[in-house]
Amino acid sequence: MTAGAAPLTAARPAARRARRLPGGTRPGASHYALLAPAQILLVGIILLPAIYVAWMSLQKVSFGADPVFVGLENYRALLADSVFWRAAWNTFLVVNAVVYGELLLGLGLALLVSGWMPYRKIVIALLIAPYAINEVSAVAMWRFVLEPDIGMVNWAMLQIGLGQLDWSADPADALVLAALLSIWIHTPFTFLILYAALQSVPQEIKEAATVDGANAWQSFRHVTLPFILPALLVALVFRYITAMRIFSEIWLLTEGGPARMTEVLAVYLYRAAFRYHEFGLASATAFAMVLLSLAVAAPYLYAAWLKMFRHA
Amino acid sequence: MWRALRLSGAAAAIAWSVFPIAMVVLSSFKPQREIFAIPPQLVFAPTLDNYRRLVTEWPAFFPNMLNSLIVTTGATLLTVLCATLAGYVYARFRGRILALSAFFMVLVRMLPPIVVTLPLFPFFSWLQVNDTHFVLIVLYAAFFVSLATWIMRAFIDQVPRELEEAALVDGAGLFQVLRMVVLPLVVNGVIAASLFVIVYAWNEFIFALVFTTRIARTTPLVMSEMLSTTDGVDWGVLFAAATVQLAPILAFILAAQRYVIAGLTAGAVKG
Repeated sequence: MTAGAAPLTAARPAARRARRLPGGTRPGASHYALLAPAQILLVGIILLPAIYVAWMSLQKVSFGADPVFVGLENYRALLADSVFWRAAWNTFLVVNAVVYGELLLGLGLALLVSGWMPYRKIVIALLIAPYAINEVSAVAMWRFVLEPDIGMVNWAMLQIGLGQLDWSADPADALVLAALLSIWIHTPFTFLILYAALQSVPQEIKEAATVDGANAWQSFRHVTLPFILPALLVALVFRYITAMRIFSEIWLLTEGGPARMTEVLAVYLYRAAFRYHEFGLASATAFAMVLLSLAVAAPYLYAAWLKMFRHA
Repeated sequence: MWRALRLSGAAAAIAWSVFPIAMVVLSSFKPQREIFAIPPQLVFAPTLDNYRRLVTEWPAFFPNMLNSLIVTTGATLLTVLCATLAGYVYARFRGRILALSAFFMVLVRMLPPIVVTLPLFPFFSWLQVNDTHFVLIVLYAAFFVSLATWIMRAFIDQVPRELEEAALVDGAGLFQVLRMVVLPLVVNGVIAASLFVIVYAWNEFIFALVFTTRIARTTPLVMSEMLSTTDGVDWGVLFAAATVQLAPILAFILAAQRYVIAGLTAGAVKG
């Protein structure tokens, strides 16, 4: 699909004038009004709350008392909390495992399906099925086959002497299971983005490469990869940003336990706010997550900025 | 040889993605004591006992599913309405203010949803709207309006402007043009944009966990209660609930597969 494709190079002024309707393509007041509903939702539900969180993170908030300005005190407390550091480290591990695991799996599946494949439509449908599954069901499914001692996969691994994935007692095993689960749920997204990108690789160039004696790897490395690189990067950034939010998989498996060993940032935030009523600490965590997300998104945002103003 | 390799790769991939779902659906028709039987029984006398117990032991389940239906419908309508209006403007007009607002839409998509629960939870309880459908509808719409706008913009971009101009010459107003000329031609875009909101709203967990307790509680939440009972999980009932919850959305996704691809391309890669 080439929808939304204003030309990628800066259009020449003459060409731009030619594309304009009589009366110009500058919007009028009524057109700005059409933007209002969407923008009000975004400002009211996301932007203002995010800014307010930054302000909250500088306050000491407790029930029944007015907030008191404490400067960076909450951040100092956060950095002094070893549970926070464990949550941050766990998040780092899980996010990287999930993002790269998914990217490799998604790329492998996309290459597999876009080559010779009978019943391609049905195969794709079956591969994206996990996208429709909610996290609670997904946790139930994976717990079922990996229930300690009695789940069939754990049972089978015990039988052949591999030892089992003891996620309910061993924090490392719990994180492994959470990562697996997350990969299972989100691979369809990565797979589809890469599959769509592979469709745009011109067949003639690949054939030309083969005629010139390129082997499968050379053809992938020098023809396919450059074409799908933008999609690969988009998938990478998007999944980094969304994977950092990981909450349900951990919460539904372990609630961050045992002994807060398996918490991730979102679980730490949720506990601080809604279990311990430490809103200052929770807000500091939240604002840290905002900054982290923006930092990871920065290259993507910069590209979007350039693209949008080039056509402005 | 090469083809056999590809086929076995595909078989393994399908097993990975479908096996957990199939196990759950199959097990929901098994008698309680056979669910953990090893080796797993593929041949068994199917029973509806788990479904019967779902109705009798979890009377809130189906009302909660109705909540999910209401919230999903509301969020989808709100999102698609806002997105179509905004998408039209971004498809048809250029300007610095528009570029800035478009960039803002992309930017807010990067913020983690859990962040907004901190100020919004006390704010919504002050407004006394916690535990209502309204709260979830607004939250879900806010987090998907940006993707939906991008999808709509891409589809509206393909509608020839001449059609609109003809209608304008005939004296139609802006809303009439949108409703009578543009909208009928971008039905595919509406489906693609709706699809992502529908899947999200039907399955969402964190906002439902924070903002609903009883009245507006959605299906994933009652299922999480089944999963976290202290006296052992009743797997039969949980699997029956999971099957009922996932059947409609899974059928929908499989039927609308091509819209998923079109929407992702228009919304994520181009945006």
